[in-house]
Amino acid sequence: MKDTVKKSKYQTFIGLEVHIHLITESKVFCGCKNVFGSEPNTNVCPVCMGYPGVLPSLNEEAVRKAYQVAMALNCHLNEKAVFERKNYFYPDMPKNYQISQFEFPFGIDGSFDLELMDGSTRKIRIHDVHLEEDAGKMIHEGSRSKLDYNRAGTPLLEIVTEPDLASGEEAEAFVQQFRQMVRYLGVTDGNMEEGSLRCDANVSINEHGKGLGTKTECKNLNSSRFVKKALEYEIKRHTKVLSSGDEIIQETRLWDEGSSRTSSMRTKESSNDYRYFPEPDLPPYWPEEKFLDEIKNSLVELPGAKKERIINQYGINQQLVVFLTSEKAMAEFFEEVVKLGKGDKGITTTVASWLGGNVQKILNDNGLEIESSPLSPKRLLSILNMIETDKISSGIGKKVLGLVFEKNSDPEEIVKELGLDEGPNDDEIVKIVSDIVDTNPKVADAVRAGEDKQIGFLMGQVMKATSGKANPGKTQKLIREKILKQG
Amino acid sequence: MQDKDTNISQNTDSYLKYVNDWEQKIGSFLEFDIERTKGFSKLEGPLAGIPFGVKDNFAVEGFDITCGSKILKGVAAPYTATSVAKLQDAGAVVVGKTNLDAFGMGSSTDNSAFKVTNNPWDTERVAGGSSGGSAAAVAAGLVPFALGSDTGGSVRQPASFCGVYGFKPTYGVVSRYGLTAYASSLDVVGVIAGTVEMTRTVFDIMKGQDIKDNTSVKHPGSRNNGDVKKIAVLKVEDGSLSKDVEDSYSKSIKRLEKLGFEINYIDLPSFEYVVPVYYTIATAEASANLARYNGLRYGYRSKNGNNPGEIMQSSRDEGFGDEVKLRILLGTYVLRSGFQDQFYHKAQKIRTAMRNEFDKIFELVDLIMMPVFPTAAFKHGSTDLDPFQQKVADLYTCAANLTGLPAFAVPSSIENGLPVGVQFTAPAFEEDRLFNIAEVLEAEFPSQSVEGVKNWSKV
Repeated sequence: MKDTVKKSKYQTFIGLEVHIHLITESKVFCGCKNVFGSEPNTNVCPVCMGYPGVLPSLNEEAVRKAYQVAMALNCHLNEKAVFERKNYFYPDMPKNYQISQFEFPFGIDGSFDLELMDGSTRKIRIHDVHLEEDAGKMIHEGSRSKLDYNRAGTPLLEIVTEPDLASGEEAEAFVQQFRQMVRYLGVTDGNMEEGSLRCDANVSINEHGKGLGTKTECKNLNSSRFVKKALEYEIKRHTKVLSSGDEIIQETRLWDEGSSRTSSMRTKESSNDYRYFPEPDLPPYWPEEKFLDEIKNSLVELPGAKKERIINQYGINQQLVVFLTSEKAMAEFFEEVVKLGKGDKGITTTVASWLGGNVQKILNDNGLEIESSPLSPKRLLSILNMIETDKISSGIGKKVLGLVFEKNSDPEEIVKELGLDEGPNDDEIVKIVSDIVDTNPKVADAVRAGEDKQIGFLMGQVMKATSGKANPGKTQKLIREKILKQG
Repeated sequence: MQDKDTNISQNTDSYLKYVNDWEQKIGSFLEFDIERTKGFSKLEGPLAGIPFGVKDNFAVEGFDITCGSKILKGVAAPYTATSVAKLQDAGAVVVGKTNLDAFGMGSSTDNSAFKVTNNPWDTERVAGGSSGGSAAAVAAGLVPFALGSDTGGSVRQPASFCGVYGFKPTYGVVSRYGLTAYASSLDVVGVIAGTVEMTRTVFDIMKGQDIKDNTSVKHPGSRNNGDVKKIAVLKVEDGSLSKDVEDSYSKSIKRLEKLGFEINYIDLPSFEYVVPVYYTIATAEASANLARYNGLRYGYRSKNGNNPGEIMQSSRDEGFGDEVKLRILLGTYVLRSGFQDQFYHKAQKIRTAMRNEFDKIFELVDLIMMPVFPTAAFKHGSTDLDPFQQKVADLYTCAANLTGLPAFAVPSSIENGLPVGVQFTAPAFEEDRLFNIAEVLEAEFPSQSVEGVKNWSKV
């Protein structure tokens, strides 16, 4: 027997370190605003600037969100969480140590159900979930370096996976699905361009059954696509090095999107010894059972569970469900329309396909999110109802949808105002149909000869002449009558 | 308490002259200005109009915060420490910032980058440290009290050298917000004053939980009304104290016997480890706490360096003094990965064992008495004690910081023209016991003044 698929000699192990920027009122250890995009050095105070004598004061809102993520990732919650100082010098880090967690983070030993391309799921083990503070930003302009400390002290949550991902594609899927989950939780906006979600990837390869190989770490992965590309580049590089009998050097490598390759940033020998030790300014955090219960009870339905429920409850097809549940707001919008429409099976499919088609297109064209758009569940339902009752055609419905976005007013008003429901009267339609059949004798002949499809052309002409207001059923009937009469 | 009509708004000229005359001799203040922060103090309150000095490692808006180091020269404090603000709310007025060993590292105040502080009893000698400026200012009658910080004895030792009261509260009882960190788990805000009553009043105003200091706690009060009956006296080996201190210690023991306290002599086996454990933990924390001073956001910025990394490096190289560098290096060393178990973690374990040892003794006695320092005030330079001997001599004061327990250095006697103090340690939150014993002893032997010193209120 011949082996048709040549299996790679090597097995790949990928682990990710994902940082998410938590949405909180204030920074994690002081009262400064936690916002993106302010004038440089305006959201700063003695605490986040590291002045002499200041002390960190822990923000409970950040702690709450850290626990939400740890719970959503099925982590074991440490009985006591300890903050530690991670020591290294960098100009954008005010204290030259970062308050982080090391030995006792909020959550450890969790898992994430990764949906694979074939529809199956695999558990990706989560090593830990820990809370830390972000650094500021250094911007180089020619020979000058500028420092902006607005970001210094904003809350970052780091999620570390075990090396359970087997390809660049899987790593990309993990980042996408993880992003979807934390957006559902509402703990971050997950914007990778603004750095609200950042990712480093560790990769090693080894012969099957031999366990982990020597790893390299990739940094500067600013989109899930870069994660995939950088890892695929690294896997190829590792394979080439090992195949030629050489060894991989443990090092940190930087992804360069321009040249689509990684290059060495620093080797292990030159890496920092962070000299972690417990932060003496913050006592160990002992979460009360009541506090944790309250967080647990307020956890939202996560994407996987929501998807399954929507399929079972509404009988929506897989493809549409993936779209509907991509964002929590979209799924909620869908369910709200269905609820308002009393939830009959017929309308659920229509609502879903409108959201996945016409609505999504307008949102994309206008760069809007469903929750902040002029379209409300009530407005969408009212358009669909007008179509359902033949008050307007679905073509007009689409036009009305566009006008809702344009005018931000109710569909009924738009229809009334523009007279969209006042289609041509029967006499007018009879005349239009008659004219169109007369000016297209060849098409009429073809229909009579049994080429029924050709009737569509005539329909199109009538619709064009009536700006889509003619009732399609009635029009088709009239066209047939006219053609037959002539025959 | 002082008379209502004695405050700094009266007799300003004579007060300023008095301060100026003494300052020529002792150099206790780095900045002095009775008007500067008056606006921050309430006009009424238990300390209305009473001037006080603040060690220059506390943030006081209106004054600089140099920590006695070139690296922070000219840095204006952008806010006020919680402890200081509470005193301002009680009416007290900050009149200046007192000299110190840079970042609180030292026992002589000779490690200040800016000036030499002399002992009012003998200007050839140090005022002690690191709160030497605060102790000297109080001893010379320039202020009725001053704030210091005590990480390993920095309030009690200079108070003892200058013949005044030096008080270290239980860790966490007074907010550290605004006190520049040397070793965060050991640092406390302390009081140096001329009387027990003033010390108690200042402490009562400053204590309390502070949302800006997550390590601060609410004071639960004494469990026994501060009653003192049984006192354990630490046995001191022959030769470990100077003759003067040994004589003074004997006098204190006799005084307790005369007053009818029940005395038990004890050994503290863990004392063997106090100094190495203290320097391991203190320097480890210091190495991180002092990492922020890099010349980029404030303070001394070197002209040597072409990029932020190089500027940072040379600013620290040129800005820190030798003693500070020594401790940063030591702290970095003990925290290295692979060495933590051998040094830092082991030190923390011994620290816990020490606390247990003290707690056991306190099941049997109300207080422990021990010396403050093996010698009286020593001479400037290394003629009496070199820097290493000065560290070894921190033995008796460090214990209270490692255990977090409250301790009080009170005047014991004058030996050959120099004051010598003695120290009491109490269980956690039993500050009342310390004030009570100190008041009883004050009636027998109050704080003495060297010639030329007037009570500040009579200036």
